[in-house]
Amino acid sequence: MKKSLLAVVILAASIALVGCTKKKKDIGKVLHMPVPMAVKGFDPIHASDKYASDEIGKVYEGLLQYHYLKRPYELIPNLAEALPTVSEDGSTYTFKVKKGILFQDNEAFPGGKGRELVAADFVYSIKRVADPKLQSTGWWVLDGKIAGLNEWRKENSSKKVVDYSSVVEGLKALDKYTIQFKLTKPFPQFLYSLAMPFHFAVAREVVEKYKKEFLNHPVGTGPFQLTSKFNAQTRKITYIKNPTFRDKFYPTEGSEGDKEKGLLGSAGKKIPLVDKIEVSIIEEEQTRWLNFKKGNLDFNSIPKDDFANAITPSKDLTPEMNKKGMKLHIAASLDVTYSAFQHTDPLFKDNKKLRQAMSLGYDIKKVNELFYNGTAQPAQSIVPPGISGFMPSYNSPFRGRDLEGAKKLLASAGYPEGKGLPEILFEHIGTSPTSRQMAEFFQKNMSDLGINIRLSSNSWPELLKKIRTRTAQMWGIAWGADYPDAENFLQLLYGPNQTPGANGSNYNNSEFNTLFKKAAIMQAGPERKALYEKLNRIAAEEVPLIYGVHRTSFVIAQGWLKNFKATEFTGERAQYLGLDLDLKGKLAKEF
Amino acid sequence: MSTNVESQSSALPNDEKLYEKSKSLWQDAFERLLKDKMATASLVMVVLYAILATLSGFEILGGDWAVEIGGSYEAPSFKSINHLFGTDIFGRSVLQKCIHGIYIAMTVGFFAAMISIPIGLTLGAIAGYFGGRVDEFIVWLYTTFSSIPWIMLVTAIAFVGGGGLKSVCLSLGLTSWVGLCRLIRAEVIRHKEREYVQAANAVGASHFRMLFLHIIPNVLHVVIITFSLQFQTAIKAEVILSYLGLGVSGEPSWGIMINEAKLELSRGVYWQLAGATLFMFLIVLSFNLLGDALRDALDPKLKGKD
Repeated sequence: MKKSLLAVVILAASIALVGCTKKKKDIGKVLHMPVPMAVKGFDPIHASDKYASDEIGKVYEGLLQYHYLKRPYELIPNLAEALPTVSEDGSTYTFKVKKGILFQDNEAFPGGKGRELVAADFVYSIKRVADPKLQSTGWWVLDGKIAGLNEWRKENSSKKVVDYSSVVEGLKALDKYTIQFKLTKPFPQFLYSLAMPFHFAVAREVVEKYKKEFLNHPVGTGPFQLTSKFNAQTRKITYIKNPTFRDKFYPTEGSEGDKEKGLLGSAGKKIPLVDKIEVSIIEEEQTRWLNFKKGNLDFNSIPKDDFANAITPSKDLTPEMNKKGMKLHIAASLDVTYSAFQHTDPLFKDNKKLRQAMSLGYDIKKVNELFYNGTAQPAQSIVPPGISGFMPSYNSPFRGRDLEGAKKLLASAGYPEGKGLPEILFEHIGTSPTSRQMAEFFQKNMSDLGINIRLSSNSWPELLKKIRTRTAQMWGIAWGADYPDAENFLQLLYGPNQTPGANGSNYNNSEFNTLFKKAAIMQAGPERKALYEKLNRIAAEEVPLIYGVHRTSFVIAQGWLKNFKATEFTGERAQYLGLDLDLKGKLAKEF
Repeated sequence: MSTNVESQSSALPNDEKLYEKSKSLWQDAFERLLKDKMATASLVMVVLYAILATLSGFEILGGDWAVEIGGSYEAPSFKSINHLFGTDIFGRSVLQKCIHGIYIAMTVGFFAAMISIPIGLTLGAIAGYFGGRVDEFIVWLYTTFSSIPWIMLVTAIAFVGGGGLKSVCLSLGLTSWVGLCRLIRAEVIRHKEREYVQAANAVGASHFRMLFLHIIPNVLHVVIITFSLQFQTAIKAEVILSYLGLGVSGEPSWGIMINEAKLELSRGVYWQLAGATLFMFLIVLSFNLLGDALRDALDPKLKGKD
């Protein structure tokens, strides 16, 4: 009885409290960010999806990072003192690690005080990616690239306990602050790979203290730290500024036009600029959007069905949103959407004409209108605009829609009007109405050619499993850049990268493979550009995939959010964002 | 011999009454059902849906759901019958989709009930009739079954079945027999002790004969009521499964339409939601009212009370 009375009192008090906070509005230096998917955990070696790696990027850091403002993307040192010295043959990279960098305080360290980061931490962290027992989802990046690392992985796969003390030839700490990588072959994307969260620095003491629970106890060197243990069920992740964070400053130069946009207002200031971050995990698009409109989130992307409510036909914000001080950020995404063929299926394998016919019969213009509000760019091939290898003036001959041409191709493939063609199974995500509508649209387009498509609905993990086990016949999916290099897109079609690698459609073309192998070890330059373009052209004309679009991201930010710039690599963004609290106070009336 | 004239004359109306009472149970129930106006309306509605579903099954009606009749998201208008509920993202008629949805819903309702009822009836009857070990086993079986959360079980079976119309029917059919099984078991236990059963036993009728020719016809009203209630449960479940992406795919269903409407609403596109819920509401309500009325009509205790 007493207990329940207490409960009533607490309930009443908390209702009163909630009421108060609502009225007062939040006016601390607190950043409010959304995440559209559940976050798996904070172990960098499993940061294969965008949502987990964004959170990891707040706590952990790597040797290198992308410049926040400069475009095209430029790598700059982060935990490294400077860019590495590279040996003449291009196979040895030597980094100096910054001195005096501290891990965040944690019980795992003696006295609870975070110790200094040393070169050996990187050796340990990268060995974890290769650890056969840990099954990192990022192993493909360095697989076969670092001298001795594959051998180390093989040796340890039969051992009961993985031996981290044995030396790997290509991955050595020369002294306390020097780390040296030796590559087995030229790997021009190597530096990009060091900016990927898989290779961020973790402390061995912490990993060994928490063992399996490590993914819930992130302890990095980064600008923010968690206020409590992470719980995968949580709907809100709260970070505070890391009190022992080094002196890191907001960039003093940016790209053209950044100054006019006010992006250099914080130039030279010590970052991070906020004291606290509240990340809300909201899976429902509408809920996220309504929260943003109420001022509970500092920025958010615009859902496709709310497009007309938020943006005028001239791609401006509506007056209502302008009045609230909101700002629109439009940027092309480095990605490509596509419908994949299963190339182990004899129906598609040697049937180029069938693939071409299907591609030509797919109404990409309508897709863009219906699903992207006409804002995306129809993809001519696999490489998106903005990186070397993209051909601005190239138009694929199998991009349409040209219904008559498609029918002719289908007839010459041996299936006039689709006769003799078996029913094709197309996999989509059942829980997403948009994914289903896209699949239905594809089905409709193909039925105009006389091709029978049956739809099969899946959950996201189910679809991934079907791709991995090669049991999916056709499916719709997208690829976003891991680093700004066409290699990252072209490798999707490289034969040796077949499943479980990134080439999920198992396309295998010896001409393409030979050229790709050559291009993959080339340093950037006109020669490589020409080769990339050649590969990109093959990828268009052979139609190993039916390309969709390169998307454009439309993000709206609140007026009080400072320094927001659209970027493909969002992990490090939070430390650069600032808040104008006076403006927030003034604008509060409008909400 | 003096005779009582009056008593003889009073025998006539008595006979008539007797004659009236000897009408079959079903005929009587049907007549009583028709006296209830709501029940009659519900029955008409159910029959109408059944006809629409059949016509849609043969693509006489609602077969044109895949045809574009206009632009994307046209609001409802009186331009033509097909425009009554507006159009969807591809410019297809929402009315046609709703009618095709009737076919999906009625198919699922019918087949789910047709799978679950024989299971529930047979198991319940066997358990009640034989008692002992058999009864213990069946009671254990359905208790275990019902201890698993229903929606989890349905999703699991739908998953294993690979989605689609067939697996939805199967998953709903295989998971909804417990209620009927319980009811039938209790009824059979009651009837087992009745004189007519004992009489049948005395003349040497087989177990099969006693159970299926004597007892079951007497508990059949329970089956009919359960059927009408299970039908609408299955319809609702199909909508939920399709909403979750586990239901039918590649053709419209009310659940899918409601799922799509979730995002469309913010555009001001309400007609998919309105159409699908209206069609679903009518059939679910009708089945509920009909189920209630059937229970009253078939309950001998309520005879003459209306």
